[in-house]
Amino acid sequence: MRRLIACALLSLSAAAAQAHIASNGFLSARVEGTHVSGSIEMAVRDAELAIGVDANHDGRITWGELRASEPQLIRYLEQHMQLSAQGQRCALALQSLKINDRVDGSYAWLSLDARCPVAVRQLGIRYTVLAEVDPSHRGLLSLTAGAAAQTGVLGGADAQPAFTVYAPSKGRAFVEYLRAGLWHIWDGIDHLLFLVSLLLPAVLLRRNGHWEPVPRARPAFMSILKVVTAFTLAHSITLSLAALDVVRLPSRLTESVIAASIVIAALNNIFPLVTESRARIAFAFGLLHGFGFASVLADMGLPQDARLVSLVAFNLGIETGQLAVVLAVMPLVYAMRSSLMYRRALLPWGSAANASLALMWLVQRAFLPGG
Amino acid sequence: MSVTRSGDRPARRPRVSRGRLCAALGVLALSAAGIGRGTPYTPADDAQVLAELPAGARHASAPNRDLTRTRLDIALPLAQFDISRARATGDLRFLGYGEAILLPWLNRTAGSAQVLVLHATILQSRHQFDAALGELDQALKLRPDDPQAWLTRATVLRVIGRYPEALESCGHLAAAADPAIVVLCTQSVQSLTGHLKSAYAAVAALPQQSLPPEARAWRYSELGEMAERLGDDPAAEHWLREGLQVAPDDFYLRGACADLLLRHARAAETLELLRGYESMEPMLLRITIAHLQLHDGAGARSRALLENAFALEQQRGEAVHRREQARFFLDVDLQPAAALAAAREDWQVQREPDDALILLRAARAASQPQLAAPALEFLHQHRLEDARAVAAGSPP
Repeated sequence: MRRLIACALLSLSAAAAQAHIASNGFLSARVEGTHVSGSIEMAVRDAELAIGVDANHDGRITWGELRASEPQLIRYLEQHMQLSAQGQRCALALQSLKINDRVDGSYAWLSLDARCPVAVRQLGIRYTVLAEVDPSHRGLLSLTAGAAAQTGVLGGADAQPAFTVYAPSKGRAFVEYLRAGLWHIWDGIDHLLFLVSLLLPAVLLRRNGHWEPVPRARPAFMSILKVVTAFTLAHSITLSLAALDVVRLPSRLTESVIAASIVIAALNNIFPLVTESRARIAFAFGLLHGFGFASVLADMGLPQDARLVSLVAFNLGIETGQLAVVLAVMPLVYAMRSSLMYRRALLPWGSAANASLALMWLVQRAFLPGG
Repeated sequence: MSVTRSGDRPARRPRVSRGRLCAALGVLALSAAGIGRGTPYTPADDAQVLAELPAGARHASAPNRDLTRTRLDIALPLAQFDISRARATGDLRFLGYGEAILLPWLNRTAGSAQVLVLHATILQSRHQFDAALGELDQALKLRPDDPQAWLTRATVLRVIGRYPEALESCGHLAAAADPAIVVLCTQSVQSLTGHLKSAYAAVAALPQQSLPPEARAWRYSELGEMAERLGDDPAAEHWLREGLQVAPDDFYLRGACADLLLRHARAAETLELLRGYESMEPMLLRITIAHLQLHDGAGARSRALLENAFALEQQRGEAVHRREQARFFLDVDLQPAAALAAAREDWQVQREPDDALILLRAARAASQPQLAAPALEFLHQHRLEDARAVAAGSPP
């Protein structure tokens, strides 16, 4: 009993020595890839204001009362705080209630764990904690990513500030975006299918309604070069325009047209309409493919201080990956060009397979919800 | 009618600090970080008390909150209560609670003068003087004779040194307010514009009984301030202590009294006076200075608390207690350059005699007296007499 009394006196004197400051919450976050971890703290006094913790209405909040309110507190905070990466919402989980004593009183402490759909470059934090009952409340953010740390203020007039957490050196950005471009040409199989559909007939000539093998390598090479150059030029233009926010197209439209472009290029191999100027098709649709590349880049975000370097590197990566495919496939195709199997089976049936796959994408992307 | 005074100064307009001040604050923030955050733990005992709730800081259910949105007759007294709680306790959270009640009403098309005046009071308490004046002008458009609006307007204008306009506002009070209030309002401004002696006599002659209760503390604080500026510190102490008898919770009076004692190096009496008021930042500053004067080494905790509070304000992007901060740098941290930078920022926003005084002292301590020129110019221009300013380097 005596110990309890001593305890109460101590806590009273501690309360008396606390300076009154405006209401603050504390959010500490560390970003690693798609994962954000850290903690959120809310003054016990503010928790009462937000959800009502003082169950026995005696004007004192005990650990028992706070603990009993843990689910409500978590629900409240999850409703009043949203994290997003490049505008895409992250799944937030708060848990393991503890207490943290700060100089102005005790705070309810919760560990924070958020999974984002993409690697975090721009961390957006929508913070409306206590906004309805104390508009002067602010969340004080301390954010770390790698070795870099920054602070910020949440709430108030700017309800959804965004923080750039990724600012690599130019050299680092170059390597990283080059790699991303290289990989994307493999992930983005639709771009490859389009290109291959255009290139398959490059080793043939259309004469009197029939395919004939080109006699020498040079015309085949020139044809390939023209198509690849036209495609590259076109998608580089639109990729840059979109990445630098000059032009923006709805992704459902670009994705649908990209699928359509494969259908058209593949059907053109079975029922040839355009035989001489496939480079023009490559250029026209290449413009749309550029927007497709740009959407990948938008998910990654361009680092603030190395926008141009990263853009060029990403594009170079795409071109390199594309060139590797061309170099691997075309000599084979060239070698097979004289065989009947190539002209009668591989070209038409391969193209038919391409076309039907792309048609499926087209239906999915253009007509199904959420495409 | 509630009386607002210049001393109600929990906060001021957010400003971006720069240069030297920034660097000094950075150091301050770093040193404060160590005490700012602890290690989370799980209490062993369910009965452990984590917080004591002050009256008026309870959870309000959604239906109750809806009431303040639909019934102005409920919203106004509640907001008024919150503002008075902020005044009495120095607890800044109450300003936020009051604002939460007022905001939905402020955003409505049909304005209410009372709502505007109350919100302006909150803005004034945060030292957002321009915004406060804007809302007061709006209120006066709706109710041209509103005495509370004119009185608050006079106070704000006085704090920022716009004396002729402050006097004019006091004049408008005559139509609707107690004559004694009009005298107090007018003479308090006159005392700053070359009529200190006559103003002192006029306010001293006001019979205490003629004043509404809430204005009595105001009269004492004016008398105390005027006596100090006249150089009559014993009289000043008498008035301030009398005032504290009438209004023990008036933290403006208490702060002024503490300052007077500290100027005379009466640190022990200062600590006695401020015992139990540690939760208010301005009081904490005076406690810390008193401990320094006593060389008793007992000021470490209050100093750390202050550093933490300043650092948090800094991170919030507010320079809420810039005058206190300047004093902290000057008298506690012994960093005259940082003190001067803070005092100059403070002078950009508010121009009370105390603001001139800290600028003069800091400039002298930093060996850059020329940087106090704006304050000297101001004192000269308004013929503002202040014995303390003369002691701090202003030519008499």
